[in-house]
Amino acid sequence: MMRLPVALLFAWSVLACVTVKPQQRAILADPTMVFDGDPQATGPVRHAYQNREAAFGGEGVSGGGCGCN
Amino acid sequence: MARGGLPTRPQAARMLLAMAVSLMAHRAGAQVVDFDTTHTIFYEAPTLTHMFVYSPAVTLSATPWEWLSVNAGWEADVVSGASVAIKAGPAYQANHPGADVVTTASVHDFRNSAIAGFTLRKDAVSFSAGYNYSTEHDYRSNSFNLAARTETYEHNTQFELDYAHNFDQVCNRVQDATDNSPTLYHALENSVGCFTNSNPLRTTDDLAIDSLQASWSQSWTPVFQTQAVASLQVVDGFQSNPYRSVVISNGVEAQENVPDLRIREAIALRAHFFLRPIKGALRFMARLYEDSWDITSGTGEAEFEKYLGESFRVTLRGRLYVQSGAIFWSDDYTGGSAPLGPRGSYWTGDRELSPFWSWSLGIRPVYTLSSPRGRLLKVMTSLKFGASFDVVNPTYEQFTLGGVPIGGAHQLIGQLSLTALF
Repeated sequence: MMRLPVALLFAWSVLACVTVKPQQRAILADPTMVFDGDPQATGPVRHAYQNREAAFGGEGVSGGGCGCN
Repeated sequence: MARGGLPTRPQAARMLLAMAVSLMAHRAGAQVVDFDTTHTIFYEAPTLTHMFVYSPAVTLSATPWEWLSVNAGWEADVVSGASVAIKAGPAYQANHPGADVVTTASVHDFRNSAIAGFTLRKDAVSFSAGYNYSTEHDYRSNSFNLAARTETYEHNTQFELDYAHNFDQVCNRVQDATDNSPTLYHALENSVGCFTNSNPLRTTDDLAIDSLQASWSQSWTPVFQTQAVASLQVVDGFQSNPYRSVVISNGVEAQENVPDLRIREAIALRAHFFLRPIKGALRFMARLYEDSWDITSGTGEAEFEKYLGESFRVTLRGRLYVQSGAIFWSDDYTGGSAPLGPRGSYWTGDRELSPFWSWSLGIRPVYTLSSPRGRLLKVMTSLKFGASFDVVNPTYEQFTLGGVPIGGAHQLIGQLSLTALF
């Protein structure tokens, strides 16, 4: 019963040990490294895939309309 | 401006825009306005449809204060091509040799979508909210979305929670009073009279969509970070293509009929590495998906983006996708040996619900123009040009057009984009 909270606490403490210093973050902030760094460009391409596949998810939740032709 | 007179309307608009940009730039003393425009085209051949879609989009976002960003935008889909209006399969074709068992209908549509939103920030927490209104000839959508983000451990750990709800409406055909079974329903002939009350044979069906997503992003080293995402979506309402009929037995064709409820789940994992010796980034994404219609799918993406000089970079990308079919999918509901045959009380001609796999390859060059001595044209801090081209090659394992497999199907996606920072 206590295994899950202990595992979560352990995982949280491990994360605390993973520290990239602010002065080391230049590359992580580079446009080539950020997650979803260019949504205006990737959005329409994802829209084209989503309308022709059954799958969904992992790419944001906002959006309106069918646009499913 | 007219000499000695008042400015004309276009001149006044330009002056107001310049004043607004200059005022906001003065207040924050940093990048405060971001203008994006993308133009995407999609073409599909040779699946009888020859679908062509042009999608322009414009987004303007501003950060007048550090704690507030606002954004507004517009996007559209201009669609022309054809869709399969009556779907039949190989068993029916075999019993009706020479019959034209697959018909198509021309499709011309124009989706307009307006977007607005804002983000509030305080310390390591931010909240976003947005609204989206979208119209098509046969579809209306109102949706809102909310997001909350926080970060800890010196920005190394980030959590985000997103929720969106759509209040959508689909135009449909009013069925005759005697047609009291879905097996007797007629498909929508066209969108004339939709949402106007001018056609007694038109009605609307509701579609509600709830989407929830949680993500955890983690920086592990100065050149490596990952992101895990879990998504859940509940779709409740009319989800068939109202225009499409399916031949369900000899001489009987009925409007497509799929369940009203669909629950969709996905998990995705992303990993980004930066390779210092060659000044390039490797990006990977893997996604697993399943839904209550018994569809499972897997997606794998790999991208390599490399700097060629300070301002120019190129991305090469590849993607693999595979899915199983819906539990009620059949290429022919009139009979035949498995996997053909009837599937209980549901039927569809939607190839996106059939088992298939696809691969795609693409390239995206980006060039960023910035001035080390000041602003470009005195107002811009940078100007970014982008272009991309992708080829998608699907292979349909069961879907046919009247028993004829689709051979050599491919889709082309091209895009031009421009981003200006003020």
